[in-house]
Amino acid sequence: MRGHAHLLGAYVPGQSLLHRAPLWLKFTAVVVLSALVLGLRQLEVTLVVLALVLAAGLLAGLGAGTVLRPFRAMAPVLLVLGAFQWWANGLEVAAVVVLDILTCVLAARLLTLTTTGQRLLDGMVSAAKPFRFLGADPERFGLTLSLMVRSIPYLLGSAVDVRDAAKARGLERSPRALLMPVIINAVAYARQTGEALSARGLGEKHPKQTADAGAKPES
Amino acid sequence: MSLVSFDGVSVSVPVPGQDRKQLLSGIDLRLNEPRIAVIGANGSGKSTLLRLINGLIVPSRGEVTVNGLSTRSQGSKVRRRVGFVFTDPLSQLVMPTGREDVELSLRAGVRDRSSRHAAAERVLADFGLLELADQSIYDLSGGERQLLALATVLAVSPEILVADEPTTLLDLRNGIRIGRLLEELPQQLIFSTHDLDLAARADRILVIDDGKVAYDGGPEAAIGFYRKLASGGVQH
Repeated sequence: MRGHAHLLGAYVPGQSLLHRAPLWLKFTAVVVLSALVLGLRQLEVTLVVLALVLAAGLLAGLGAGTVLRPFRAMAPVLLVLGAFQWWANGLEVAAVVVLDILTCVLAARLLTLTTTGQRLLDGMVSAAKPFRFLGADPERFGLTLSLMVRSIPYLLGSAVDVRDAAKARGLERSPRALLMPVIINAVAYARQTGEALSARGLGEKHPKQTADAGAKPES
Repeated sequence: MSLVSFDGVSVSVPVPGQDRKQLLSGIDLRLNEPRIAVIGANGSGKSTLLRLINGLIVPSRGEVTVNGLSTRSQGSKVRRRVGFVFTDPLSQLVMPTGREDVELSLRAGVRDRSSRHAAAERVLADFGLLELADQSIYDLSGGERQLLALATVLAVSPEILVADEPTTLLDLRNGIRIGRLLEELPQQLIFSTHDLDLAARADRILVIDDGKVAYDGGPEAAIGFYRKLASGGVQH
Protein backbone atom coordinates (compact mmCIF):
# COMPACT_ATOMS: atom_id res chain seq x y z
CA MET A 1 0.00 0.00 0.00
CA ARG A 2 1.42 3.35 -0.93
CA GLY A 3 1.37 6.21 1.51
CA HIS A 4 0.10 9.38 -0.14
CA ALA A 5 1.29 11.92 2.34
CA HIS A 6 1.41 14.82 -0.11
CA LEU A 7 -2.02 16.40 0.41
CA LEU A 8 -1.61 17.45 4.03
CA GLY A 9 2.12 16.86 4.11
CA ALA A 10 4.45 15.01 6.43
CA TYR A 11 6.75 17.11 8.62
CA VAL A 12 9.87 18.47 6.91
CA PRO A 13 12.58 19.14 9.51
CA GLY A 14 13.96 22.70 9.60
CA GLN A 15 14.93 25.63 11.79
CA SER A 16 13.05 28.43 9.98
CA LEU A 17 10.91 31.03 11.73
CA LEU A 18 7.85 29.10 10.61
CA HIS A 19 9.23 25.87 12.06
CA ARG A 20 9.94 27.58 15.37
CA ALA A 21 6.69 29.56 15.60
CA PRO A 22 4.30 28.37 18.32
CA LEU A 23 1.56 26.03 17.18
CA TRP A 24 -1.23 28.31 18.40
CA LEU A 25 0.12 31.15 16.23
CA LYS A 26 0.34 28.99 13.12
CA PHE A 27 -3.11 27.54 13.75
CA THR A 28 -4.60 31.02 14.27
CA ALA A 29 -2.94 32.25 11.06
CA VAL A 30 -4.44 29.33 9.08
CA VAL A 31 -7.91 30.02 10.50
CA VAL A 32 -7.71 33.79 9.95
CA LEU A 33 -6.33 33.55 6.41
CA SER A 34 -8.87 30.88 5.46
CA ALA A 35 -11.72 32.93 6.93
CA LEU A 36 -10.44 35.99 5.09
CA VAL A 37 -10.41 34.41 1.63
CA LEU A 38 -13.61 32.40 2.13
CA GLY A 39 -15.43 35.32 3.76
CA LEU A 40 -14.49 38.14 1.40
CA ARG A 41 -14.40 36.14 -1.86
CA GLN A 42 -12.45 38.80 -3.71
CA LEU A 43 -9.86 37.84 -6.27
CA GLU A 44 -7.39 40.54 -5.15
CA VAL A 45 -7.55 39.38 -1.50
CA THR A 46 -7.19 35.72 -2.48
CA LEU A 47 -4.18 36.47 -4.69
CA VAL A 48 -2.47 38.45 -1.91
CA VAL A 49 -3.09 35.69 0.68
CA LEU A 50 -1.98 32.99 -1.77
CA ALA A 51 1.22 34.96 -2.47
CA LEU A 52 1.79 35.31 1.29
CA VAL A 53 1.31 31.58 1.87
CA LEU A 54 3.66 30.68 -0.99
CA ALA A 55 6.25 33.17 0.20
CA ALA A 56 6.05 31.80 3.76
CA GLY A 57 6.59 28.29 2.43
CA LEU A 58 9.59 29.30 0.35
CA LEU A 59 11.10 31.33 3.22
CA ALA A 60 10.71 28.27 5.45
CA GLY A 61 13.03 26.47 3.03
CA LEU A 62 10.40 24.00 1.91
CA GLY A 63 10.96 24.49 -1.84
CA ALA A 64 8.34 25.14 -4.51
CA GLY A 65 8.03 21.45 -5.36
CA THR A 66 7.19 20.50 -1.77
CA VAL A 67 4.76 23.37 -1.22
CA LEU A 68 2.90 22.88 -4.50
CA ARG A 69 2.90 19.06 -4.59
CA PRO A 70 -0.79 18.70 -3.64
CA PHE A 71 -1.75 20.82 -6.65
CA ARG A 72 -1.16 17.85 -8.97
CA ALA A 73 -3.45 15.61 -6.90
CA MET A 74 -6.11 18.31 -6.63
CA ALA A 75 -5.88 19.50 -10.26
CA PRO A 76 -8.60 17.23 -11.76
CA VAL A 77 -11.14 18.22 -9.07
CA LEU A 78 -10.22 21.90 -9.26
CA LEU A 79 -10.45 21.84 -13.07
CA VAL A 80 -13.93 20.32 -13.03
CA LEU A 81 -15.04 22.71 -10.29
CA GLY A 82 -13.51 25.69 -12.07
CA ALA A 83 -15.08 24.75 -15.40
CA PHE A 84 -18.51 24.41 -13.79
CA GLN A 85 -18.19 27.75 -11.96
CA TRP A 86 -17.02 29.46 -15.15
CA TRP A 87 -20.05 28.09 -17.00
CA ALA A 88 -22.46 28.94 -14.17
CA ASN A 89 -21.05 32.16 -12.69
CA GLY A 90 -18.31 33.51 -14.91
CA LEU A 91 -14.54 33.47 -15.02
CA GLU A 92 -13.84 35.65 -11.97
CA VAL A 93 -16.03 33.57 -9.62
CA ALA A 94 -14.44 30.39 -10.97
CA ALA A 95 -10.97 31.80 -10.32
CA VAL A 96 -11.94 32.89 -6.78
CA VAL A 97 -13.47 29.51 -5.87
CA VAL A 98 -10.52 27.49 -7.19
CA LEU A 99 -7.86 29.77 -5.73
CA ASP A 100 -9.68 29.94 -2.35
CA ILE A 101 -9.60 26.15 -2.02
CA LEU A 102 -5.98 26.01 -3.10
CA THR A 103 -5.02 28.77 -0.64
CA CYS A 104 -6.74 27.04 2.31
CA VAL A 105 -5.15 23.66 1.52
CA LEU A 106 -1.70 25.21 1.08
CA ALA A 107 -2.01 27.19 4.35
CA ALA A 108 -3.01 24.02 6.25
CA ARG A 109 -0.21 22.17 4.51
CA LEU A 110 2.37 24.71 5.67
CA LEU A 111 1.25 24.06 9.24
CA THR A 112 1.68 20.29 8.96
CA LEU A 113 4.94 20.57 6.98
CA THR A 114 6.53 22.72 9.70
CA THR A 115 5.06 21.07 12.82
CA THR A 116 5.98 17.62 14.11
CA GLY A 117 3.16 15.16 14.65
CA GLN A 118 3.94 15.10 18.37
CA ARG A 119 3.60 18.90 18.64
CA LEU A 120 0.29 18.70 16.79
CA LEU A 121 -0.79 15.94 19.15
CA ASP A 122 0.30 17.99 22.19
CA GLY A 123 -1.63 20.96 20.81
CA MET A 124 -4.79 18.94 20.33
CA VAL A 125 -4.45 17.46 23.80
CA SER A 126 -4.11 20.98 25.26
CA ALA A 127 -7.11 22.18 23.24
CA ALA A 128 -9.23 19.36 24.67
CA LYS A 129 -8.22 19.95 28.31
CA PRO A 130 -11.02 22.48 29.04
CA PHE A 131 -13.54 19.71 28.22
CA ARG A 132 -12.28 17.42 30.99
CA PHE A 133 -15.21 18.45 33.17
CA LEU A 134 -17.52 16.84 30.59
CA GLY A 135 -15.62 13.58 30.97
CA ALA A 136 -13.42 14.05 27.88
CA ASP A 137 -10.01 12.38 27.89
CA PRO A 138 -7.64 14.88 26.20
CA GLU A 139 -5.00 12.22 25.36
CA ARG A 140 -7.56 10.07 23.60
CA PHE A 141 -9.04 13.10 21.83
CA GLY A 142 -5.61 14.17 20.56
CA LEU A 143 -4.68 10.64 19.53
CA THR A 144 -7.98 10.21 17.66
CA LEU A 145 -7.51 13.44 15.72
CA SER A 146 -3.89 12.68 14.82
CA LEU A 147 -4.87 9.21 13.65
CA MET A 148 -7.61 10.78 11.54
CA VAL A 149 -5.08 13.12 9.91
CA ARG A 150 -2.67 10.22 9.42
CA SER A 151 -5.41 8.10 7.84
CA ILE A 152 -6.18 10.51 5.00
CA PRO A 153 -3.02 9.84 2.97
CA TYR A 154 -3.33 6.09 3.66
CA LEU A 155 -6.90 5.99 2.36
CA LEU A 156 -5.96 8.09 -0.68
CA GLY A 157 -3.19 5.58 -1.36
CA SER A 158 -5.68 2.76 -1.02
CA ALA A 159 -8.01 4.42 -3.56
CA VAL A 160 -5.14 4.82 -6.05
CA ASP A 161 -4.06 1.18 -5.59
CA VAL A 162 -7.64 -0.04 -6.07
CA ARG A 163 -8.02 2.09 -9.21
CA ASP A 164 -4.76 0.64 -10.62
CA ALA A 165 -5.86 -2.91 -9.78
CA ALA A 166 -9.27 -2.31 -11.43
CA LYS A 167 -7.55 -0.85 -14.50
CA ALA A 168 -5.24 -3.88 -14.74
CA ARG A 169 -8.33 -6.11 -14.89
CA GLY A 170 -10.17 -3.85 -17.35
CA LEU A 171 -12.70 -2.84 -14.67
CA GLU A 172 -11.91 0.88 -14.47
CA ARG A 173 -15.50 1.78 -15.41
CA SER A 174 -17.09 -0.45 -12.76
CA PRO A 175 -18.15 1.62 -9.71
CA ARG A 176 -18.41 -1.61 -7.69
CA ALA A 177 -14.85 -2.65 -8.51
CA LEU A 178 -13.63 0.82 -7.55
CA LEU A 179 -15.75 1.49 -4.47
CA MET A 180 -16.12 -1.83 -2.63
CA PRO A 181 -12.39 -2.58 -2.16
CA VAL A 182 -11.80 0.98 -0.89
CA ILE A 183 -14.53 0.54 1.73
CA ILE A 184 -13.24 -2.90 2.73
CA ASN A 185 -9.68 -1.57 2.93
CA ALA A 186 -10.85 1.36 5.08
CA VAL A 187 -12.62 -0.97 7.54
CA ALA A 188 -9.62 -3.34 7.62
CA TYR A 189 -7.29 -0.38 8.17
CA ALA A 190 -9.43 0.89 11.06
CA ARG A 191 -9.39 -2.56 12.70
CA GLN A 192 -5.67 -2.96 12.13
CA THR A 193 -4.94 0.47 13.62
CA GLY A 194 -7.13 -0.30 16.62
CA GLU A 195 -5.30 -3.57 17.15
CA ALA A 196 -1.90 -1.88 16.86
CA LEU A 197 -2.94 0.71 19.44
CA SER A 198 -4.29 -1.97 21.80
CA ALA A 199 -1.12 -4.05 21.47
CA ARG A 200 0.96 -1.05 22.50
CA GLY A 201 -1.42 0.00 25.26
CA LEU A 202 -2.03 3.34 23.51
CA GLY A 203 -5.29 5.16 24.01
CA GLU A 204 -5.95 3.23 27.20
CA LYS A 205 -6.67 5.06 30.40
CA HIS A 206 -3.69 6.49 32.22
CA PRO A 207 -2.49 4.12 35.00
CA LYS A 208 -3.78 6.47 37.70
CA GLN A 209 -7.23 6.44 36.12
CA THR A 210 -7.34 2.68 35.59
CA ALA A 211 -9.84 0.84 37.70
CA ASP A 212 -9.71 -2.94 37.65
CA ALA A 213 -12.93 -4.22 36.25
CA GLY A 214 -13.07 -7.47 38.22
CA ALA A 215 -13.79 -10.36 35.93
CA LYS A 216 -15.22 -8.20 33.17
CA PRO A 217 -13.31 -8.61 29.90
CA GLU A 218 -11.69 -5.39 28.69
CA SER A 219 -11.86 -6.14 25.02
CA MET B 1 12.14 -14.48 34.20
CA SER B 2 8.43 -13.76 33.79
CA LEU B 3 5.83 -16.46 33.95
CA VAL B 4 3.06 -16.72 31.40
CA SER B 5 0.36 -19.24 32.32
CA PHE B 6 -2.39 -20.75 30.20
CA ASP B 7 -5.01 -22.65 32.23
CA GLY B 8 -7.59 -24.64 30.30
CA VAL B 9 -7.60 -22.06 27.50
CA SER B 10 -9.91 -22.35 24.52
CA VAL B 11 -10.70 -19.76 21.88
CA SER B 12 -13.63 -20.01 19.51
CA VAL B 13 -15.22 -17.50 17.16
CA PRO B 14 -18.74 -17.33 15.74
CA VAL B 15 -19.18 -18.30 12.10
CA PRO B 16 -22.42 -17.10 10.46
CA GLY B 17 -24.82 -20.00 9.89
CA GLN B 18 -22.47 -22.58 11.45
CA ASP B 19 -21.19 -23.78 14.82
CA ARG B 20 -18.50 -21.70 16.49
CA LYS B 21 -15.08 -22.30 14.98
CA GLN B 22 -12.52 -23.58 17.48
CA LEU B 23 -9.20 -21.75 17.05
CA LEU B 24 -7.50 -23.15 20.15
CA SER B 25 -8.58 -25.78 22.66
CA GLY B 26 -7.38 -27.26 25.92
CA ILE B 27 -4.19 -25.23 26.25
CA ASP B 28 -2.35 -25.63 29.58
CA LEU B 29 1.10 -24.09 29.61
CA ARG B 30 3.68 -22.53 31.91
CA LEU B 31 6.08 -20.40 29.90
CA ASN B 32 9.14 -19.14 31.77
CA GLU B 33 12.11 -19.92 29.54
CA PRO B 34 14.01 -16.93 28.09
CA ARG B 35 13.39 -17.89 24.42
CA ILE B 36 10.27 -19.76 23.36
CA ALA B 37 9.45 -20.45 19.72
CA VAL B 38 6.00 -21.34 18.43
CA ILE B 39 5.91 -23.21 15.12
CA GLY B 40 3.12 -24.72 13.08
CA ALA B 41 1.32 -24.54 9.76
CA ASN B 42 -0.56 -21.46 8.57
CA GLY B 43 -3.92 -21.31 10.34
CA SER B 44 -2.84 -23.72 13.07
CA GLY B 45 -3.44 -21.19 15.88
CA LYS B 46 0.04 -19.73 16.45
CA SER B 47 -1.03 -16.08 16.15
CA THR B 48 -4.09 -16.68 18.34
CA LEU B 49 -1.87 -18.19 21.03
CA LEU B 50 0.49 -15.20 20.92
CA ARG B 51 -2.33 -12.63 20.92
CA LEU B 52 -3.68 -14.17 24.10
CA ILE B 53 -0.46 -13.30 25.92
CA ASN B 54 -0.88 -9.53 25.83
CA GLY B 55 -4.66 -9.61 25.93
CA LEU B 56 -5.24 -8.63 22.31
CA ILE B 57 -7.81 -11.39 22.49
CA VAL B 58 -9.22 -12.98 25.63
CA PRO B 59 -9.96 -16.71 25.91
CA SER B 60 -13.49 -18.00 25.39
CA ARG B 61 -12.74 -20.43 28.23
CA GLY B 62 -9.96 -20.62 30.79
CA GLU B 63 -7.49 -17.96 31.77
CA VAL B 64 -4.18 -16.49 30.67
CA THR B 65 -2.03 -14.73 33.27
CA VAL B 66 1.26 -12.87 33.06
CA ASN B 67 3.10 -12.79 36.38
CA GLY B 68 -0.26 -13.37 38.06
CA LEU B 69 -2.08 -10.60 36.14
CA SER B 70 -5.14 -11.77 34.25
CA THR B 71 -5.29 -10.68 30.60
CA ARG B 72 -9.08 -10.68 30.95
CA SER B 73 -9.50 -8.34 33.88
CA GLN B 74 -6.14 -6.53 33.97
CA GLY B 75 -5.46 -6.20 30.26
CA SER B 76 -4.00 -2.70 30.35
CA LYS B 77 -1.56 -3.67 33.12
CA VAL B 78 -0.55 -6.75 31.13
CA ARG B 79 0.01 -4.69 27.96
CA ARG B 80 2.35 -2.36 29.82
CA ARG B 81 4.51 -5.41 30.57
CA VAL B 82 4.14 -7.32 27.32
CA GLY B 83 5.25 -5.77 24.02
CA PHE B 84 3.86 -7.17 20.78
CA VAL B 85 5.50 -7.09 17.35
CA PHE B 86 3.32 -7.84 14.32
CA THR B 87 4.42 -9.69 11.17
CA ASP B 88 3.83 -6.61 9.02
CA PRO B 89 5.41 -3.53 10.59
CA LEU B 90 3.01 -1.29 8.68
CA SER B 91 0.23 -2.81 10.80
CA GLN B 92 2.04 -1.54 13.84
CA LEU B 93 3.42 1.87 12.93
CA VAL B 94 0.66 4.43 13.30
CA MET B 95 2.57 7.70 12.82
CA PRO B 96 4.03 9.08 9.57
CA THR B 97 7.68 8.97 10.68
CA GLY B 98 9.79 6.79 12.95
CA ARG B 99 10.60 9.59 15.36
CA GLU B 100 6.91 10.39 15.85
CA ASP B 101 6.04 6.75 16.36
CA VAL B 102 8.72 6.23 19.01
CA GLU B 103 7.61 9.44 20.74
CA LEU B 104 4.04 8.17 20.67
CA SER B 105 5.15 5.01 22.48
CA LEU B 106 6.84 7.15 25.13
CA ARG B 107 3.89 9.53 25.70
CA ALA B 108 2.35 7.55 28.56
CA GLY B 109 5.60 7.37 30.52
CA VAL B 110 7.36 10.63 29.67
CA ARG B 111 5.04 13.63 29.89
CA ASP B 112 7.61 16.38 29.29
CA ARG B 113 8.00 17.08 25.57
CA SER B 114 11.75 17.75 25.51
CA SER B 115 12.54 14.73 27.71
CA ARG B 116 10.38 12.60 25.44
CA HIS B 117 12.18 13.93 22.38
CA ALA B 118 15.56 13.16 23.95
CA ALA B 119 14.43 9.67 24.98
CA ALA B 120 13.19 8.98 21.43
CA GLU B 121 16.58 10.13 20.03
CA ARG B 122 18.34 7.66 22.32
CA VAL B 123 16.07 4.78 21.30
CA LEU B 124 16.47 5.56 17.59
CA ALA B 125 20.25 5.86 17.98
CA ASP B 126 20.40 2.51 19.84
CA PHE B 127 18.69 0.84 16.89
CA GLY B 128 20.80 2.70 14.29
CA LEU B 129 17.72 4.47 12.99
CA LEU B 130 18.55 8.09 13.79
CA GLU B 131 19.31 9.02 10.18
CA LEU B 132 15.98 7.58 9.06
CA ALA B 133 13.98 9.07 11.93
CA ASP B 134 12.27 11.79 9.89
CA GLN B 135 11.67 9.76 6.74
CA SER B 136 8.16 8.60 5.92
CA ILE B 137 7.64 5.03 7.13
CA TYR B 138 6.61 4.21 3.55
CA ASP B 139 10.07 5.18 2.28
CA LEU B 140 11.85 2.71 4.57
CA SER B 141 12.86 -0.80 3.46
CA GLY B 142 11.11 -3.83 4.96
CA GLY B 143 14.08 -4.49 7.26
CA GLU B 144 14.22 -0.88 8.43
CA ARG B 145 10.48 -0.89 9.11
CA GLN B 146 10.68 -4.07 11.17
CA LEU B 147 13.62 -2.64 13.09
CA LEU B 148 11.60 0.52 13.72
CA ALA B 149 8.57 -1.53 14.84
CA LEU B 150 10.83 -3.30 17.33
CA ALA B 151 12.23 0.04 18.49
CA THR B 152 8.74 1.47 19.11
CA VAL B 153 7.83 -1.54 21.25
CA LEU B 154 11.13 -1.81 23.12
CA ALA B 155 11.19 1.96 23.80
CA VAL B 156 8.96 1.36 26.81
CA SER B 157 11.09 -1.56 28.11
CA PRO B 158 8.50 -4.33 28.32
CA GLU B 159 9.32 -7.36 30.49
CA ILE B 160 8.23 -9.77 27.75
CA LEU B 161 8.38 -9.40 23.99
CA VAL B 162 5.89 -11.34 21.89
CA ALA B 163 6.67 -11.39 18.17
CA ASP B 164 4.33 -12.86 15.57
CA GLU B 165 6.47 -14.11 12.67
CA PRO B 166 8.84 -11.13 12.86
CA THR B 167 11.04 -12.28 9.96
CA THR B 168 8.45 -13.71 7.56
CA LEU B 169 8.29 -10.64 5.29
CA LEU B 170 12.03 -10.02 5.29
CA ASP B 171 14.78 -11.04 2.88
CA LEU B 172 17.50 -13.37 4.11
CA ARG B 173 19.92 -10.63 5.21
CA ASN B 174 17.30 -8.65 7.13
CA GLY B 175 15.81 -11.84 8.56
CA ILE B 176 19.21 -12.78 10.00
CA ARG B 177 19.73 -9.22 11.29
CA ILE B 178 16.36 -9.12 13.10
CA GLY B 179 16.85 -12.70 14.34
CA ARG B 180 20.21 -11.76 15.91
CA LEU B 181 18.73 -8.66 17.49
CA LEU B 182 15.91 -10.69 19.02
CA GLU B 183 18.38 -13.24 20.39
CA GLU B 184 20.37 -10.53 22.16
CA LEU B 185 17.39 -8.91 23.91
CA PRO B 186 17.39 -9.03 27.70
CA GLN B 187 13.60 -9.56 27.72
CA GLN B 188 11.84 -12.89 27.70
CA LEU B 189 10.97 -13.57 24.05
CA ILE B 190 8.04 -15.61 22.79
CA PHE B 191 7.84 -15.72 19.00
CA SER B 192 6.20 -17.62 16.19
CA THR B 193 8.12 -18.37 13.03
CA HIS B 194 8.35 -20.50 9.90
CA ASP B 195 12.13 -20.10 9.98
CA LEU B 196 13.27 -23.35 11.57
CA ASP B 197 16.87 -22.09 11.90
CA LEU B 198 15.59 -19.22 14.04
CA ALA B 199 13.33 -21.56 16.03
CA ALA B 200 16.25 -23.95 16.62
CA ARG B 201 18.01 -21.30 18.72
CA ALA B 202 15.11 -21.12 21.20
CA ASP B 203 15.20 -22.82 24.61
CA ARG B 204 11.82 -24.42 24.08
CA ILE B 205 9.54 -24.97 21.10
CA LEU B 206 5.78 -25.40 21.01
CA VAL B 207 4.43 -27.10 17.90
CA ILE B 208 0.85 -26.04 17.29
CA ASP B 209 -1.41 -28.12 15.10
CA ASP B 210 -5.14 -27.71 14.59
CA GLY B 211 -5.53 -25.45 17.64
CA LYS B 212 -3.69 -27.75 20.05
CA VAL B 213 -0.15 -28.03 21.38
CA ALA B 214 1.00 -31.08 19.43
CA TYR B 215 4.52 -31.09 20.85
CA ASP B 216 6.28 -29.17 23.60
CA GLY B 217 9.97 -29.64 24.17
CA GLY B 218 13.56 -28.92 23.19
CA PRO B 219 14.43 -27.56 19.75
CA GLU B 220 15.89 -30.64 18.11
CA ALA B 221 13.09 -33.01 19.04
CA ALA B 222 10.37 -30.42 18.39
CA ILE B 223 11.66 -29.56 14.91
CA GLY B 224 12.00 -33.25 14.12
CA PHE B 225 8.40 -33.77 15.21
CA TYR B 226 7.22 -30.79 13.13
CA ARG B 227 9.00 -32.02 10.00
CA LYS B 228 7.30 -35.40 10.42
CA LEU B 229 3.94 -33.69 11.07
CA ALA B 230 4.27 -31.49 7.98
CA SER B 231 5.10 -34.47 5.78
CA GLY B 232 2.10 -36.40 7.09
CA GLY B 233 4.15 -38.85 9.13
CA VAL B 234 2.40 -38.19 12.45
CA GLN B 235 -0.89 -39.90 13.19
CA HIS B 236 -3.52 -37.77 15.01
